[in-house]
Amino acid sequence: MEPEKNSSKTEKVPDWMLDLDRVGFVRRLFIARKWYGGDWWFVAISGLLLIFIILVGIFPQWFAPYDPRAEVGPSLLEPGKAPSEYVLVSQVERGEITLVDIADKTNNIGFIVGSPASQALREVLIELNDNAPEGVRYQPRQRRYDTLEESLAALDNGEIDGFVVDPDVLEDSLDVYPNLQVAGTLREEGSKGFFMGTNQIGQDVFSRIIWGTRIALIVGISSALVSFIVGVPLGLFSGFIGGPLDRVLTLLMDSLYSFPGLILAISIAAVLGPGIGNIIVSIAVLYVPTYFRIVRGQTLQVKEELYVEAARSLGTTWFTILRKYIFPNVIPSVVIIFSVNVGDAILTEAGLSFLGFGLPPDTPDWGIDLARGQDYLRRAWWLITYPGLMVSMVTLAFSMLGESLSEILNPRLTER
Amino acid sequence: MSATKENKSSEYLVEVKDMKKWFPVQKNFIDQVFARELEYVHAVDGVSFKIRKGEVLGLAGESGSGKTTIGRVTIGLEPKTSGDVYFDGIDLSTLSREELRKLRRRMQVIFQDPLASLNPRMSLGESIMQGLKIHYPETAPQHRDIAIETMEKVGLSPARFYFNKYPHQISGGQRQRVVIARALITKPDLVLADEPIAMADVSVRALLLDLMVQLKEEYNLTYLFITHDLATAKYICDNIAVLYLGKIAEIGNLRDVYSAPLHPYTQALMAAVPVPNPHDRRTTPMPEGEIPNPIHPPSGCRFHPRCPFAKPDCSKVEPELREIMPNHFVACHYAEDFK
Amino acid sequence: MNENDILMQIKELSVTYETRLGPVSAVDRISFDIYKGEILGLVGESGCGKSTMGKALMRMIQPPGYISNGQLIFEGEDIMTYDEKQMRDFRGRKVSMIFQDPMTSLNPVQRVDQHIVEAIQMHEPKTKVEQALERAKILLQKLGIMENRMTSYPHQLSGGMRQRVMVGLGLVLNANLIIADEATTSLDVIVEAKLADQLKEIRDEFGVSLLVITHNIALVAELADRVAVMYAGHIVELGSVEAIFDNPMHPYTIGLLHSVPTIKLNEREELYKMGGEPPNLTHPPSGCRFHPRCPKAMPICTTHEPDFLMAEPDRFVKCWLYQDHPEKESQSTEVSK
Repeated sequence: MEPEKNSSKTEKVPDWMLDLDRVGFVRRLFIARKWYGGDWWFVAISGLLLIFIILVGIFPQWFAPYDPRAEVGPSLLEPGKAPSEYVLVSQVERGEITLVDIADKTNNIGFIVGSPASQALREVLIELNDNAPEGVRYQPRQRRYDTLEESLAALDNGEIDGFVVDPDVLEDSLDVYPNLQVAGTLREEGSKGFFMGTNQIGQDVFSRIIWGTRIALIVGISSALVSFIVGVPLGLFSGFIGGPLDRVLTLLMDSLYSFPGLILAISIAAVLGPGIGNIIVSIAVLYVPTYFRIVRGQTLQVKEELYVEAARSLGTTWFTILRKYIFPNVIPSVVIIFSVNVGDAILTEAGLSFLGFGLPPDTPDWGIDLARGQDYLRRAWWLITYPGLMVSMVTLAFSMLGESLSEILNPRLTER
Repeated sequence: MSATKENKSSEYLVEVKDMKKWFPVQKNFIDQVFARELEYVHAVDGVSFKIRKGEVLGLAGESGSGKTTIGRVTIGLEPKTSGDVYFDGIDLSTLSREELRKLRRRMQVIFQDPLASLNPRMSLGESIMQGLKIHYPETAPQHRDIAIETMEKVGLSPARFYFNKYPHQISGGQRQRVVIARALITKPDLVLADEPIAMADVSVRALLLDLMVQLKEEYNLTYLFITHDLATAKYICDNIAVLYLGKIAEIGNLRDVYSAPLHPYTQALMAAVPVPNPHDRRTTPMPEGEIPNPIHPPSGCRFHPRCPFAKPDCSKVEPELREIMPNHFVACHYAEDFK
Repeated sequence: MNENDILMQIKELSVTYETRLGPVSAVDRISFDIYKGEILGLVGESGCGKSTMGKALMRMIQPPGYISNGQLIFEGEDIMTYDEKQMRDFRGRKVSMIFQDPMTSLNPVQRVDQHIVEAIQMHEPKTKVEQALERAKILLQKLGIMENRMTSYPHQLSGGMRQRVMVGLGLVLNANLIIADEATTSLDVIVEAKLADQLKEIRDEFGVSLLVITHNIALVAELADRVAVMYAGHIVELGSVEAIFDNPMHPYTIGLLHSVPTIKLNEREELYKMGGEPPNLTHPPSGCRFHPRCPKAMPICTTHEPDFLMAEPDRFVKCWLYQDHPEKESQSTEVSK
């Protein structure tokens, strides 16, 4: 039986192919969830986390309640615990008064010598004076007493108009003095509280963490970028050209690579001296060999592919081959390295500043905080716990993103 | 082109004289230290042929025959070890790298594996336009239109739809069309087709073959068609060269060779090709043994260890290619006996 | 052919793959028989499901694929009910497989004779090593591997010889069925011809059945007794090799046979060019899967899938041209109006 003569018609585009285009990116993203399972979730979670972290890094002022360098609270305050609300004690017959009422220079205010309440009083007075209208000045005379009993007695006699004290210290002492009352808290409104506590100088740990994100991200991403910009082209040329150039470079990179990372970074930082730029350079050098090796290996492989030979047979110049054929096919594996690199750079940076290299001592930086918190390990555990957690979390987020992306991107998707 | 580099313009587009291509054998370190001499794979060991403009010459053979290497050396992708290769009268070995690169416009390749020969990161349209970008950069604004036109010609329709697609998004048969389009966009004179349909589906092969024949007529192309399948060669080749272990066993007009194969190897090869007809099953036995190692080819006639008709002198003297019948050359001492 | 001549019955076999784009039925409710001592050729293009079919017969489908339906009745027993231990015994001993690339299916650090001995000892543990070696030697010699090559490693042998080792592995345990999945595709023509001869010889001598899975139509004409043509997960035609080649019934078979080149001069000087492409199995065409490419498509072909029915004695076709359906009548009468 002879077949019917089939007029050669142009092939009709199968419907399913047209559909595939219409399926939007977002829908494909969700279809991918079923296919990649766990990896998809990793990428989604770490991706969201990282977007958040980057947001924090760019706009720390939105998130941090205090200036990280300001000594805004009592030192070594436990997280969550509100700083003591110091109270004003006065005579009953004066009624409800606040500090403002008795803060004029004709008034006397007493406190126990050297108590934190006195510090608080001074701070509040400064605040009041800063916010006071023109011409008004709050400067009561301050009286010091050695003990609580003395000061209460003085208040009772009218020697002083008010007495500032920590309520825990006061306890039930007022029972003996029916004439005296707690007039109110020293501050009109409560302070914002210190969600992660304060460090030994009184700086808010939480704010420092938030601001530390910025430094960490700057150093991490910049050093990764520098490593990338140096390592990738070197790997490309070395793999493509081969020969003695390749051998020398490989030797150089392998020796760099064999150094334990942190030690290498320290040596370079020590030579270069302090400064954020030098830190970035020291860490960047660490990672150049990694990019070099990966890119060189991939280049060697891609160089042998048939499509590169096809390009050569078309008459393509070697530079165009590198640019259009080798580079785009080598890059996917490198992008993954980049994200892991950033995480690792942050870790290294924390280590470097922990050891005292590079950044000026008061910079809100996780490494510096870790270093300073060492001595307080038992007394004030929050000084190192929170910075440590941040370093781990951000490093983990970057690494998670990198690893799971590589799972998804590398086996190239076939449509069959 | 300076006059000193050209031969007198000849009637043949391609002329190959006694081409040899030997590859040094990779040796491990110990052998390198102790071995006295280097060993070579005699991939191509003295091959000569000529192709006229507009003709299709088939290079047929099994593995180790050297057919792919001959193709690559002819096109200039590999340097020869010895011999002469002329393209349109130009001796390829006299060209500088840059001159050879420019000459590529006139010699293009269609590879066997379309998926592997397309850059996975380049859209189909981009891949196809590369030839124009390289050799005609001055006409850049027209490149896209020319590419679209070429795509329509090879059957990738609607071309605008396929232009932005990537290799992994289309079928194997379509990919091969892309490769063909890419090769033809610079209007080359010579096309090296390296087993171009071997990897396509059976029902698509006929379409591709037909396309290649049509394009040959339209663009006045000359093909050097490498294949292991003698049946396919029948549909596109004018002349055919049967290769065995780096040398031509038989070469001539395809119809003549197929109707009267004069070399025992050709006879065996043709008998081995399965025929899609259950009433016409093969009864002739196959030659003993296997293809020998190309590092140490047999002495004399390379086929003699397996040849059912071998005589004593076959192992001593290597036969020359002789014209046994008009335009039908055979490298066998006793070819006349088979006439 | 009567009941006793049937070696294996495949009933309503379906194999499904879970892919990113949805479930794909690579093999869709296929039924056929394999007779004892026959060479059955299973032909089709890539993606038609023939390789999947071969693997399914040995229950070797890996996730994300699985056998979603069907019975595989071998010598009276349904191997779908076998547990893992029974399957291990079944594979190799009753049914064995030869693959396309012998280089990757043979253990590169094991000598050839050790391969055979290992196979013997795995299934017949009580055999002594000397006995096993002796059996291996005899078998390999029969297959044309001389004694001096028996102690070679796979990489030292040529492709053809490696394939013969694979055949040996299949035969050594007296398997009843050998499945050759594109076993000759990577071989040179002359070697392929010799292997085909060998397969015929072992069928004649040992009475094994052979399922030859290939896209090489001509090879099947040289080798097979019966031919099954597959398209898009279905068998569209089945019959003796002469009947299929002399008188193809299904339009796909007709088109396919006429598009195969032949080396014979003055025969088929022009090849038939089939249009279209094999379909994507996540969204197969409705009704008959071949209808978009079929020059003889009728309205019913787009809506209803034909059954795989006997059109002539020992001839099965899955096509509306040879079957009736109430709708078919009404549609054609409508058209003629």
